[in-house]
Amino acid sequence: MSNLAVLPIILPFLAGILVAFFHKNLIASRIFSIIATMLHLALTIFVFLNVQESGSYVLEVGGWEAPFGIVIVADPLSSLLTMTTAVVAAAAVIYAPKSLSRIQEEFYFYSFFFLLIAGVNGAFLTGDLFNLFVFFEVLLMASYGLIVLGNGKAQLRESLKYILINLFSSMLFVTTISFLYSVVGTVNMAQAAERVGEVEQQGVLTVIGILLFFVFATKAAVFPLYYWLPSSYTVPNAVVSALFGALLTKVGVYSILRTFTLIFNYEVGLTHTLFIYLAMFTMIFGVIGALSTNNVKLIIAYNVIPAVGFMLMGIGIFTETSIAGSIYYLVHDMIIKAVLFLLIGAVTYAAGTSDLKKMGGLIHHYPVLGWMFFLSTLVLAGIPPFSGFIGKLLLLQGGLNQEEILIVIVALISSLGILFSMIRIFIGGFWGAADIMELPKQKPSLGAMTWPIGILLSLSILLGVGAEMFYPAVSSIADYVMNPELYIESVLKE
Amino acid sequence: MEIVMSVLAGLLFMTGVYNLLQKQLLRIVIGTALVSHGAHLTILTMGKLKEGAAPVLTDGVENYTDPLPQALILTSIVISFGVTSLLLVLAYRASKINHTDNMEKLRGNDYE
Amino acid sequence: MILPVLLPFIIAIFIPFLSKWKEKFHTGIVATIVPLIIFIYFASFFAGGFSSVTKSYSWIPSLDMNLVFHLDGLSLLFVLLISGIGTLVGLYSIYYLHTTEKLGHFYVYFLIFMGSMLGVVLSDNVYALYSFWEFTSLSSFLLIGFWNHKHASRYGALKSMLITVFGGLSLLGALVFMHSITGTTSIQQMLGDSEAILNSEFFPLILTLLLLGAFTKSAQFPFHIWLPDAMEAPTPVSAYLHSATMVKAGLYLVARFSPMLSSSEWFFIIVSSFGILTLCWGSYMAVRQTDLKGILAFSTISQLGMIMAMLGFGTKVAVFAAMFHILNHATFKGSLFMVAGIVDHETGTRDIRKLGGLMNYLPMTATLAMFGVFSMAGFPLPFLNGFYSKEMFFLSSLDLSGQGEFASIVASLVPYLAVFGSIFTFVYSMYFFFGTFRGRANLGKLPKKPHEAPVGMLISPAILVLLVVIIGLFPSFINEPFISHAASAVYGGDVSKDIYFWHGFNLPLIMSLTVVAFGTILALTIPRWSTVYNYVPGILSMNKAYDYTVDKSVTFSTKLTRGYMNGSLALYMKLILGAIIIVSFSFFFLTDGFAIDTSQLAPVTTIEIIVAITMAIAALGTIFTNNRIAAILILGVVGYGLAMLFIIYRAPDLALTQLIIETVTVALFLLVFYHLPSLNSRDESRPDQISNWIISIGFGLLVTTVAISSHSSKLFDSISSYFVENSYKLGGGDNIVNVILVDMRGLDTIFEIAVLGIAAMAIYSLIKIKNKKEE
Repeated sequence: MSNLAVLPIILPFLAGILVAFFHKNLIASRIFSIIATMLHLALTIFVFLNVQESGSYVLEVGGWEAPFGIVIVADPLSSLLTMTTAVVAAAAVIYAPKSLSRIQEEFYFYSFFFLLIAGVNGAFLTGDLFNLFVFFEVLLMASYGLIVLGNGKAQLRESLKYILINLFSSMLFVTTISFLYSVVGTVNMAQAAERVGEVEQQGVLTVIGILLFFVFATKAAVFPLYYWLPSSYTVPNAVVSALFGALLTKVGVYSILRTFTLIFNYEVGLTHTLFIYLAMFTMIFGVIGALSTNNVKLIIAYNVIPAVGFMLMGIGIFTETSIAGSIYYLVHDMIIKAVLFLLIGAVTYAAGTSDLKKMGGLIHHYPVLGWMFFLSTLVLAGIPPFSGFIGKLLLLQGGLNQEEILIVIVALISSLGILFSMIRIFIGGFWGAADIMELPKQKPSLGAMTWPIGILLSLSILLGVGAEMFYPAVSSIADYVMNPELYIESVLKE
Repeated sequence: MEIVMSVLAGLLFMTGVYNLLQKQLLRIVIGTALVSHGAHLTILTMGKLKEGAAPVLTDGVENYTDPLPQALILTSIVISFGVTSLLLVLAYRASKINHTDNMEKLRGNDYE
Repeated sequence: MILPVLLPFIIAIFIPFLSKWKEKFHTGIVATIVPLIIFIYFASFFAGGFSSVTKSYSWIPSLDMNLVFHLDGLSLLFVLLISGIGTLVGLYSIYYLHTTEKLGHFYVYFLIFMGSMLGVVLSDNVYALYSFWEFTSLSSFLLIGFWNHKHASRYGALKSMLITVFGGLSLLGALVFMHSITGTTSIQQMLGDSEAILNSEFFPLILTLLLLGAFTKSAQFPFHIWLPDAMEAPTPVSAYLHSATMVKAGLYLVARFSPMLSSSEWFFIIVSSFGILTLCWGSYMAVRQTDLKGILAFSTISQLGMIMAMLGFGTKVAVFAAMFHILNHATFKGSLFMVAGIVDHETGTRDIRKLGGLMNYLPMTATLAMFGVFSMAGFPLPFLNGFYSKEMFFLSSLDLSGQGEFASIVASLVPYLAVFGSIFTFVYSMYFFFGTFRGRANLGKLPKKPHEAPVGMLISPAILVLLVVIIGLFPSFINEPFISHAASAVYGGDVSKDIYFWHGFNLPLIMSLTVVAFGTILALTIPRWSTVYNYVPGILSMNKAYDYTVDKSVTFSTKLTRGYMNGSLALYMKLILGAIIIVSFSFFFLTDGFAIDTSQLAPVTTIEIIVAITMAIAALGTIFTNNRIAAILILGVVGYGLAMLFIIYRAPDLALTQLIIETVTVALFLLVFYHLPSLNSRDESRPDQISNWIISIGFGLLVTTVAISSHSSKLFDSISSYFVENSYKLGGGDNIVNVILVDMRGLDTIFEIAVLGIAAMAIYSLIKIKNKKEE
């Protein structure tokens, strides 16, 4: 049964390779991709439920026992995140054909897409630090392929910056792994955790931890390392932006969450306090960024940043409540970011521009789109009873229980800023007289764009209103995460 | 010797970073190459240097150098190669389309 | 009890379908019946004496977030107001809104508001309360923006949303705080545990946050500014949300928590002063307005301030009067809004400068307005309910005894300000009535020829005016069953009070007479003193402050963000590296992480030193050379040097790979850069050069120090011995590195190949897809 753990990696990996063989045949590619993502979704749900039922699956790849070989660990946290990834992937693949040009689809979009998913799932599932690096490279390489897809002028320019910054942080990553290896003599996360614990994270280990944090924080777009994000999330096609916004930064957040609950949790007063302050500035600067522009795509891209601040806040506060908040927020944010990027893709597609100043009155022509946008604004801003609220509430509770007043106040004000930045799009773009914009006579129909958004949006509303169905699971995951010995035991079987 | 190697690795990182901060694409790409060399040297140094024979099992030899860092470096070298190749082609394409190899001119604005 | 609260939401779902037949069947009819049913349901609680009821329905029990409805006197007062006024407004709207409007939208928002408002006043669970609270703000936003083709509507909608959601978030902060202190989410239990909150060191913060929520919602100075702009909403909305119900949510909140808060001196000081200030400011500003609804908006602000002040006083009389006035205000202000709507509807304008003399054209409307206006002015007549509560307000303002220095100053000022505010209340009431209905009619200025409103439109205001009179004539009719229950719930003890018209010739009556006397004089001489408005508010205008803040927040954000998000990779790298260097070195010192251990080092040999020095020189050479071919070749030297080191350090596989890869890379470099411009000399500015050096040296230093420290603190045995032992035994290979790569860490290798594969695809598509500009 433990072979199940690796399937969420293998399935998209194989799909990505297979689909490359008939990349010119779009009909076949689309059908194949939809079937594969649906299978993948079913599989991840199955794994998640099984893990919930009977505990983590630990697969020692090739039969090499831990900590010597590579382990793949489908534990409650990682199986939850792979499941969420699969949901986003399924929506994206349905949305893609309408959004992409023929040439983009033909030039390996689906391969890149599946390999991205494989990399993301691998990063969530692996129990080995160096293997994590490898999966990072897989997902990054796939993202490089996706960001340049189409070879637009701006795409080429921004992807250069994106690749260079990520390449640098990857190199820092391997270097840091080697530092850790030198001190604790292992690259297996569970064993590293055990050994760091034995010496109570003495000496240089905290600095190594901080370097790892910076590596992940660059991916997660934490202050002050997020500069690469806004432009590189704006230039590619909407469906690519959605995948990036939903998955890539979250892999970074997950890695921080994992390493700083599992391995480096003995200098909480230093490291986690740092996180709280960085979280605060991440929220502030993210919101400021979101208010700084009239480019609707860029507004959404900037809104990725404060959300990362919220999640980091929970890790920094480091109580069961706050971690539960971070996890809830993580799942919520993966879905709502996908919704927003897909939505804004449809908006710019319908309006023919991404400049808010040139928009207006769209709700008269695209009422469904308008109301979906309004709802997702509420979800994003954390208006109850939608999903953003549940995570935010837990984070606020966690913060106040620990008397971290400042971050709580910043979080509250950021919520207002997020709402303001989003409602500007609603008021400026959707409201107004019907004839403000000169839309083409034959209004572009959104067709297949609308309903994947609708499904994701309903899901994120359900995640809020029906929190009773999800929260107990998240709460037990937080409990699990806060007791790292459970992870260590399940991997090392002591 | 490890200290010398650590200093050399630091120096490679330093020159790499300095090149990364330049304007011309060629220098920047050279910078990334130097950084990866630095990283690989660091990994090697973090195993124990010269503590035994090359990690190929030979009769009568008990002591071998640490094989794991070597395996990691190999993986990393190959990956860096992949990224560097992509980067080179991209640099070529980007500078052709934008008619400049000066990163400072590749800034862009909000509305594109 | 859940059904009546959810009923509006459920019906709202069907409204869009119903509105398809709006030509034959005005959607407003549904919106009238729904609140009527709710009204009847809640009114039935009176049968057989009233006692409070609590009903729980679980929603998210694991987060302690449940739908717990607690119906006590206070809630009942509000519930009946919401459903009662809701019925009348629904009825009125049928005549006000033509079927060409988007009725579906309107009534969906309307019903969502109604349900949310019921939820606010009934919820005992703080998070449910907050959820409903935000939904009232949102539905208000949508209703204000109903005619969103107008710029003023959009402006007003945004303003109200920003201010009320800001307040909502403050409220959330306060609620989470109280939850965290008391461990319960039930308001009733919190009130039972009020000592814990009052004694908390965070009490001042909690109080501030809670009051921010209440003040923004109830349009207290200086947050009142959203209310006048909210008048862009259709008039039924103004009558319902922005005078009778939603704006009273803040009052409700203060009232709800006042059993806990009123023992705090600061509660008295803050709430009373803001209330009184709002009363004065609102009534003063009302006289300046030219839009009928503008006058009413400022009037509402001022009346809300008065009620808020009384809640702040916290005495028996004050609390009773506050509850009484909540009801009275809803009756007369509701009717006046409807009157304003009728005038607008029948003449086509609400500009008081164009109106006048309408008494002859709209006699019925004028009569209704007269009752409303004089009740609002607190005119001493036994059939006007406004007089009673105004009189009690004066009475309560007189018997304040503030404990503490600051509180007693406030207490001594209150009566004067109360009179001041009331004088202006009198003035704007007269201004409203006489400016519209008396004087000379100027029909030429009116867009439409005025005539009396249809009967249907008059029913609702007539019922409200009837209530004004009935309450005025028989105050104890509603006192015993109704107001005293509400007041008792707020005061936290039994409050019953008999209401009489004639109290004897006492101080409150003198105050009332003063108000009438001065009010009349000022009302008659408005043109003579209205220049005062050029000085106050003048620059004090809170609107300007709001516009400035919103404007600045955008321009400031733009400026700041453009300042550093300028697309320069070098700047980004510098900021990122700077952060890494500073934080990592700080942690080095904080954790005392540096270590150096020279006992176990490998010996230094000449050949290694030579290779190392060559590599160092070559690496530095890449910086200083200005020839691209040279730069690439020098880079090759570094790569081959590394391969040499691999050989020296017994890594033959690595050396081989490195040699091959380095050769291919150099070739690729040469190929690509043959097509690019040649290298320029580095033309950095001096400061750039210095910062580049600092950062690169800093980073190099960081790597070196961490490397030395890590190497010097090998705390555990490496797992590698396992690989050495088992390479042949289990892996079947002599070359340990190879066995690790293909077997023990085979997954790495598979995906390493995958990376190469993806890179190949990416490169292929990079080359193949032609950019339009190139062709």
